[in-house]
Order: sequence, then C-alpha cells, then structure tokens
Amino acid sequence: MPLTDVSRTWRRRRVLTTAAAAGAAAAAGALVPATPAAANAGAGAGLVPADPLLHLLRRATFGPTAEAIAEIRRLGAAGWLDRQLAPGQIDDPEVDAYLGRFPLLHLDIAGLRRAAAAGELKVGSWAAMQQLGHAALVRAAWSRRQLFEVMVDFWSNHLNVACPFGDAWDSRTDYDRTVIRAHALGRFADQLKASARHPAMLAYLDNRASTKTRPNENYGRELLELHTVGLVHTEADVQHAARLLTGLTVDKTGAYRYEPVWHATGAVTILGFSHPNATAAGGEAAVDALLDYLAAHPATARRIAHKLCVRFVADDPPAGLVDRLAQVYLAGGTAIVPVLRALFTSAEFAAALGAKVRTPLEDAVATIRVLGLRPEAVTTDNPTGTAASRALYWTLQTLGQAPLRWGPPDGYPDVAAAWASPGGYLGRWNLHLNLAAGWYPKQLVRPASLLRHLVGAALPATHGGLVDAVARALVGRPLSAPHTAALTAFFGKQPTSPLRATDSAATGGFPYLVALVLDSPYFQVR
Amino acid sequence: MSVTTTDPCTCPERRPQADGPARPGPGGLSRRGVLARGLAAGAAGALTGLAGAGLSTRLAFAAASYTGDVLVVLSLRGGFDGLSAVVPHGDPAYYAARPVLAVPKPALLGGDAMFGLHPALAPVLPLWRAGQLAAVHAVGQPNPSRSHFQAMEEMERAAAGTSIRTGWLDRMLGLQGASSPLSAVAVGGANSPRSLAGPTPDLSLRSVDSFSLAGESAKRSMAAALRTLYADAPPVLAGPAAAVHGALSGVGAVRTTPYAPANGAVYPETELGAALRDVARLIKSGVGLRCATVDFGDWDMHEGAGAAVAGQPMFERLRELALALAAFATDLGPAGLDRVTLVTLSEFGRRVQENASRGTDHGHGNAMLLLGGGVNGGRVYGRWPGLAPSALVAGDLAATSDYRAVLGEILQRRCGMGSLGSIFPGVSPTGFGVAAARA
Repeated sequence: MPLTDVSRTWRRRRVLTTAAAAGAAAAAGALVPATPAAANAGAGAGLVPADPLLHLLRRATFGPTAEAIAEIRRLGAAGWLDRQLAPGQIDDPEVDAYLGRFPLLHLDIAGLRRAAAAGELKVGSWAAMQQLGHAALVRAAWSRRQLFEVMVDFWSNHLNVACPFGDAWDSRTDYDRTVIRAHALGRFADQLKASARHPAMLAYLDNRASTKTRPNENYGRELLELHTVGLVHTEADVQHAARLLTGLTVDKTGAYRYEPVWHATGAVTILGFSHPNATAAGGEAAVDALLDYLAAHPATARRIAHKLCVRFVADDPPAGLVDRLAQVYLAGGTAIVPVLRALFTSAEFAAALGAKVRTPLEDAVATIRVLGLRPEAVTTDNPTGTAASRALYWTLQTLGQAPLRWGPPDGYPDVAAAWASPGGYLGRWNLHLNLAAGWYPKQLVRPASLLRHLVGAALPATHGGLVDAVARALVGRPLSAPHTAALTAFFGKQPTSPLRATDSAATGGFPYLVALVLDSPYFQVR
Repeated sequence: MSVTTTDPCTCPERRPQADGPARPGPGGLSRRGVLARGLAAGAAGALTGLAGAGLSTRLAFAAASYTGDVLVVLSLRGGFDGLSAVVPHGDPAYYAARPVLAVPKPALLGGDAMFGLHPALAPVLPLWRAGQLAAVHAVGQPNPSRSHFQAMEEMERAAAGTSIRTGWLDRMLGLQGASSPLSAVAVGGANSPRSLAGPTPDLSLRSVDSFSLAGESAKRSMAAALRTLYADAPPVLAGPAAAVHGALSGVGAVRTTPYAPANGAVYPETELGAALRDVARLIKSGVGLRCATVDFGDWDMHEGAGAAVAGQPMFERLRELALALAAFATDLGPAGLDRVTLVTLSEFGRRVQENASRGTDHGHGNAMLLLGGGVNGGRVYGRWPGLAPSALVAGDLAATSDYRAVLGEILQRRCGMGSLGSIFPGVSPTGFGVAAARA
C-alpha cells in the first residue's frame, strides 16, 4: 500500500500510545463512580439519580424499563455491557415476530426487483423504505439488543442515506442490513468500504454517475468531510478523491459494479495518501486502499471518537476523553467495541450525569419504554398489525425526527441546541399526554392499569406520595418539593392532602400527572 | 445527478400521503389532545455544532424593530412548469415542443408580444393589471439537479459551491437580528423548511388554530405546572420551555381573536388557502412576523398534465394557486400589500418537450411569480434565451438569471438588506427593477 512518510509517522506514534490509551478502567470493565467535582458534570446533574447503573441505562439504551433495570442490577455494569456488546447472543423473539409483519424488510436488491417484476409492488415504490423506517421505531422501542440498536442509529446518521430516498427504493433496506447493521459493532474500515460499494450510497451521493470525463465530486467531498476526516481537507483532496472514485457505479440490475472504462487513471494524493492509480483495472483496489487509509487516519479517529462522545457523554465532550478514545480506535484497527468499552468505563462518562438532553426520537421511545407500552396486536381493525408503528413514525415526522428520514448527508443533529425549537417542545409535551392517556396511537398494548404499573398495588396515602411514586417510576427519583407541590396543585391539592382511590389524580387525571412528569426537565435529560 | 427520467417519479411530495398519519377518528384523540394535527419542530432544520449558539436569542422575545416587508416564500414543490404558467407564446418553438400541452394563444391572459398567463390564472389577472403581480422567467439554479431532493436542498441552502449548511432565510433573519420565533413562521406544514435551518429561531405550525397545549384548561393548567417545573431548570432546557410559553401566548393571542378576512376576501377551502389565510392573520396581528414560508406541492406532472381547460390537472392546480393568491391580496388590502412581498420558488422547471404521457419530465429553467404592493408588476422580467433546440440545455430552458439574484433584488429593495454576501455568497442582485425601493 503506497503510504507516505506522514502516515507512517502517525502509525508509529499510534503504537507507542496504545497502552495509555486503552486505560485501566476499560480493562477492569467497572464503572467509575461519579465525582461531583468533575469538571464536565452536566448542567442537568441535579435532575437525575446518581446511580451509575441508571446512568448507563439512560445513555446506552433508548431508555430504562423496569425489566432493564432489574437486569442491570442482576448482571452488574460490566456483565450488562458484555451482554449488550454481544447482541447475537441475545434472543429477541418479540421484535423478530413483529418484524415478520414487514414482508419487504428482508428482501435484497434482487429480491425487491423480483417482487416488482412480479407485480407485488411498483418499480420505484417506497414501500420497503417505509417498512424500514417503521421497523427502526419498533426496534428502538422493544429490541432487547438496545446498545446495538443505539449504534445502528448512530451509524445510520454517520453514513446517512436518507430513507426514503427515491433512487434507493430497492437498495435502502439492503444498505441497512449489509452496511449499517452488519458492521454496527465491527470495524469502521469494513463499514466504510461496504458503504462505498453499496448502490444506495452510490445513488445518494451521485457516484454512480461519476465518470472520468464528468467526475461528480459529491461523494468524494462527503467521504472526506462527513464520513472520515472532517473539514481538514483541501479542494484538491476532494478532486483527487472524486477522480479515484470514478468507476464505482450501479449496473442495470441495481447491483454494485466497478466499471473500469469510467475510471480516471493517474496518480492521486489525498491527505497524505498517494497512489499511482496507473491502470483502470486497478482502480477498485486503489479505492480500497484509500478507504483503509482514511478509516485509520488520526483525524477520522478523533472525529468518530468525538461523535461517540457527543452521543453518549456530553454535547461538548471533554477533549481528554476524545483523545483517549481516538487512540483506542486506532490501536484496535478501527474496531468499535473497544472504544465503547473505554467510553462507558471512563471517569468522564461517569461524571457526565444529566449532561445530555433527549432528542425527539429518544424522548418518544423512552416514553413508550418507561410506560410499559407493548407492541400492537393484529386485530380486525389493524389487520397488518402495524398501524401503531406507522402512527408513531408520522408523529416523529411532525417532531422532525422520523427514524432514518434526515435528508442531507450529515445525519440528524445530536446536540440539545439543535432541538430547542418551541414547536418541538410543545410537540413532545403533547405526545406525552397522548401516550399516557392512550389517545394516540391507540393500538399499543397498555398495562392493564397504568397506575398499578407505575405505582404498584398499594395506593400512596397522600397526593404528594403519589407524585413521589410516579416520579420514582419514571425518572428514578422524587421531584423537588416545589415541583411536587406544583403537581399536586394541578389537582387542587397539597402534597399532604390525603389520596383516595376515587380522587382524580388516581383516576381520570392520572395520565395528566404522568404526562407532566414526562414533560419535566427530570425526564428530558438522560 | 440523480437523473431517473425513465423510472416513475418517487418524489416526496407525491408519495407520503399514502402512508400518512392516520386521521383521528371520532373519539380517537381527545378534543384537545390532537397530536396528529399538532405542531411541529423547527428542529428538523437545525444543525449540528450549535451547542450554545442561539440559545440566548431563543430566550428573548421582544422583536427588534424591523421596517422591511414581510417576505412570504411560497414553495411550489415538485417542479413547477413555468412554461405553462407564464407562456412564451411568441416563441414558435414552444408550440412545436408541446403539441398537446401548449396553451392556445387566444386563451392567454394579460399578455404581451412574447408572454401570456395561463387562463387558469384569471383570478390574479386584476393583480397583474394593477401592477402588483410580476413574473421573472428563465430563472434557475447554478448547479442544476434533476433530483427533487437535491434540487430543493440546494435551492434552500442557496449557497452552491460552499460548505455553508444553514438556509438562506435563516441567514437573512440572522443579519436582521431577528430573535423571536414569531419572526419567522412556517405555516401549514409539520416542519420548517431547509431555508430556515440554522441558529435563528423560527416556528413551524400546521395552523394557528391547532397550535395549542394538549390537556390545557383554565381549571387545570398544564402550562402553569410546566412553568414551575422549568423555573429553575438549566438554561438548555429552560430556554426552549420559555419559548414554548412565549409562542403559545403569542400565537394564542392570535388564535383566540376570531378572524374574518377583510374586504370580502374568500379563501378557497384548500390547504394553500388555509395557510395563506393564517399568514395574513399573523401579519395583521402584529406579532412581529418578518418572514413566512408556505408549501404548495403536487406540481410533478409527469403524466396527464392536460390541456389548458377546466378539469385538467395543470389547469386546476394553477387555478387553486391563483384563487389563494387573489384572496390573500384582497384580504391584506392595498395598504397591507404595500408591506408584503410574496415570491414563488420551485426546485426546477420542466423539460421543454412534452413527453408521451401528456406530461413533462424534470427540467431546469423556470418562472418565478412576485406579488406585493412594492412589485412593479404586470410584466415578465428576465432575459429570454429562446426555446429553439439549439438554445436548450439538455432539453431544458436555459436559466439566464440565478434565482438568488432575483431574491437579492427583493431583499435589498424591500427587506432592508444591504450586502448579500453572507446570504447568497458570490451572487450579485439582478437590476431588473422588479420591485420598487421601499419608502
């Protein structure tokens, strides 16, 4: 592989720093207790319980459930993390059964085209992509492979191909399966190379039409700027990358093909990578060399480490942690699991209590999970058994974050400021009441009694006690005294007012109490 | 470029309805808990890397003084056929290219030697004749794409060839120092368009009447409880929560005042009519609106656009547009219209040659419509490149004016903007005189 001196230099340095990078905490696999004095303690640290197991659940899953809390208490943090990082060994029968209701989900490109040829769907139909979007919600809400699904969401955004995207009608589901999910806990270099030769990406970023006479820079630019090194490249780097990428295209059957006659030969130099690119026949191998080089570039390491920290630690994560994780990434040959282990066992992670605000997707899914809402049943009113997932998907669309739907190549934003619109907050508040009251979507299976599910069989003696019990169930801690008083005042009561089984707060008014706790800052941070 | 002219079009604006949100049935949603009709997140357009930025402005609610026109951007999504709306009847190649779809010369309205309006635009003919409605022809983007998605994205980013990821309206509002979400409102849709993406606050709402807090009642106030819950929250949460209350109060004041259009204006009972009615309502309410966006889709007529007679899809769509625009202008009245400029944009025009399905495929050069008291209307602006086969670009009307240059002229003459460099990098405004300098 033609590497320059510069790259050899950083490769050497990488080896030297490996030991320090991995860190003792990662090796021990134990959670570091939170230290309140830590510099990066989140602004919301006072809103969440300090229990490190709950902190891990809030970050590494789409939201705690009673079952997940019981499981992590049984396994401990290290055992739970081990289990989540080996998702193939976790049975997921409920979600598997549900996904059987999406018949197009598992078809590959040829399969979807065959189905179209057989008249089962139209050529260009969005049906498979819609099923994929709905399935993403189902998986987020109910899969037991929670960390895996969180990472699928992460990579879907990092290597975004909008879904739906018209020209990926036959390939978007295959992209999800063979690029995103296949490598979600694998090596980034493998995932990057899989994305580069996938028809969905080649269509989305126009490389399929890029030829030596008319090179299209779209994919070359985003490959550098978004997928790998970030904004450290020059325009010349983009042009060279675009030239090298010519020939990666899609054939008439919709499959990936390398087309040598479209490939622009000639030496390229891209961010320290150089290749003679002397023959058209060797173009594909030269692209792979570039992608391996970019995946293992220090700037890529920092960029992916930073994005993972933004997802799991804080919007403005500690630089020291980012640097250490970047070294773990490089030392592991772009493997992601060691990076995640180092992240979740770092002191910075432990200290970042309440430092993240839920996005609309995280808020909606966490609400479904904590309320104990279960997948819909197939009924005469809902013969496909998918009405609720469809409704949830469109609800998320009105909140601006339907799964996989972000149009531009940079993926959904992952910081609180990006989701701070008033319409968005009003929307999530309204969603909480709709879900708590069972108004919409109606098809989700609810606990026989939401009150009993959250509070238990014994009714608290006072209105304040009821607010406490609901808060402990939903956010793992009681609310502050003024906040508790505000919620009892909603029912015209004091915290000390006795609670009878017939009181509004325990009957028709109960969903409003649940919604208000979900609306509150306590639930909005994770 | 994603050119898939042989595949059936899979444009977003034509497809999602089949899979749209379930209409709440009777008793489905609570009377107040109608989420599906609810609100929207401006967040869709928001960007990464904004931590900290813009939060302080979200807290502020007082509108800085703005003395320019309210700019209404009407997006004709799907690819508007400017050649059918503003017909180049003086160009013989037009009739040669469109044997079925061409509008016969005698049917055209308000014409001159070269152009005439489609007969379905009759409702706006009085505005055209009064000089309040103009067109600019042969307008397009510098890097044309035939993908709806890319073309819309690029049109609303409006910064081709740069790494800028904000939208042009957001950049304009930022320069104006707009700080209230009610400065910029996306009406009628769930989400703010990409043109509003970025740090400047904006509000998207399906309708003024639906912008409400589920479960709220005077007896039991969710809003009051929420104010207490957020009173001591960290700024990252308290900011948006306060903005919700501000927006609820601002929109609520508009909502609770019954609205009757003025001057006998009758809006068509269409989504566009309802949206423009809400825009007029917000303008007249004095909430500090500077800019509104409205979408009007379904222009992607690959098949069966039809001849220029009532009942045909193109005729009906243009008529729906004209009826809503006419009602909007009537409702605002001459004095109101003097402080408003409405512009239409569409991601691309249509192929000059009609196809075998009585429709047209994706093209490039297009027409923009401009409505307002400050518009020097009644005529068609722009340099006409001609429709002769040799003048076409890949079968399309060539674009002789960058749409951003036309917008730039409006922004400078009507919206108080000076240098356009940070809104439309590298673009010089047109000097058509399509709008009068604001008094």
